[in-house]
Amino acid sequence: MKADTLNGQLDPLILATVAEEPAHGYAILQRLKERSSGAFDLAEGTIYPALHRLERDGLLSSTWSTDSGRRRRVYSITRAGTSALEVRRQEWKHFAVAVEAVMG
Amino acid sequence: MSWLDDLSLELYARGVPRRERARIAIELSDHIACEPGCEERLGDPRELAVTFADELATAEARNSAFMAFAALAVAAVVLIVSQITLARFAHYPGYANGISMLLFFPAVLGMLVAPQVALVAGTLAAWRALRRRRVVSLSAGEIRLIHSRARVGLAAGFATMAGIELYVVDFSERLPPWWLGLIGGLAALAGAGLFAASRVLVRARTIVSSTDGRAGDIYDDLPLFGWRPLRTRPWLLGAFASVAVGLALGGFEAHAEHSVIEGVQRGLFEGLAAAIGFIVLGRAIGARPARQSIEGGTPRPE
Repeated sequence: MKADTLNGQLDPLILATVAEEPAHGYAILQRLKERSSGAFDLAEGTIYPALHRLERDGLLSSTWSTDSGRRRRVYSITRAGTSALEVRRQEWKHFAVAVEAVMG
Repeated sequence: MSWLDDLSLELYARGVPRRERARIAIELSDHIACEPGCEERLGDPRELAVTFADELATAEARNSAFMAFAALAVAAVVLIVSQITLARFAHYPGYANGISMLLFFPAVLGMLVAPQVALVAGTLAAWRALRRRRVVSLSAGEIRLIHSRARVGLAAGFATMAGIELYVVDFSERLPPWWLGLIGGLAALAGAGLFAASRVLVRARTIVSSTDGRAGDIYDDLPLFGWRPLRTRPWLLGAFASVAVGLALGGFEAHAEHSVIEGVQRGLFEGLAAAIGFIVLGRAIGARPARQSIEGGTPRPE
């Protein structure tokens, strides 16, 4: 699936991934790939502007941690992020049902 | 040169602040360390830097507009408090009883004209930022317009506070010390708030956006003004606005002072000031119509 198809859906996908467990950028990307069975073919770097944007919007928070001597930024979902994710889930379900009804 | 070096250079070239650049570099270097050789899959460093810069420039422009509006609101409260306390507890000393007319005239200009400019420019900056809050990457032109409005608003806010301070100095021998201290101190505090907002604006202006699209104008912000004759003839809007300001403030003055003559004088002065303001600052606040009507920018994912 090309990045264009993902347009507008990357933010909720990231929120859903981080909602499971706090994670750093690379781990979030790996989870996205695993759960989608590798369907999402996006430039991996694009996840970082999205993470920064979600943090600016108050939907994610982040802290520094150190692993194997390397500093990394670990992201967690906020209460506002959880609420936003729930809204997006409902919207997506309605959308998917409608598309299914039309396309069969 | 490594992929990370390319990215750092591109971020620097787009004015992304050092702290943000350092954070991005650490995150991306950790990503590469997790899976050596994955640079190609990260994408073009230039495109990534453009995305970072465009989104950050948008967020900072909105932030600077809201900060400017908040600082101007505080300055407006100080101006109102100064006038209420002056009228109720200290009494107007009479314009000819100050130290010098050289202090009085700029003080009155600062206290009468500058607040109106600050109100219009600051409100338009904040309104555009609020109206376009769901857009991830505003066009470069639109970001410049928000900056320009915030800059005009803040400059007028400074002029207002300077006007109050000049008034305090001019009537330092006539007005009670408590009023001079209170209002002089409050104006200085409001000035500090304006300075803080200016620093946010200066920082925001360093970030370069590359998003195409038109800036939009006052006719997009206020649909009431979208009436075609106004959109195609900005001077007509300027004339309407000047007459409206003159009538409103002239009427207020006539009512407050129970004098038609004073009302007419004030109305003419305010109307003329509004006309001059429109001519001088019209372009800076987007009061001139744009050629197209479609706004640019990337919509925020819903």
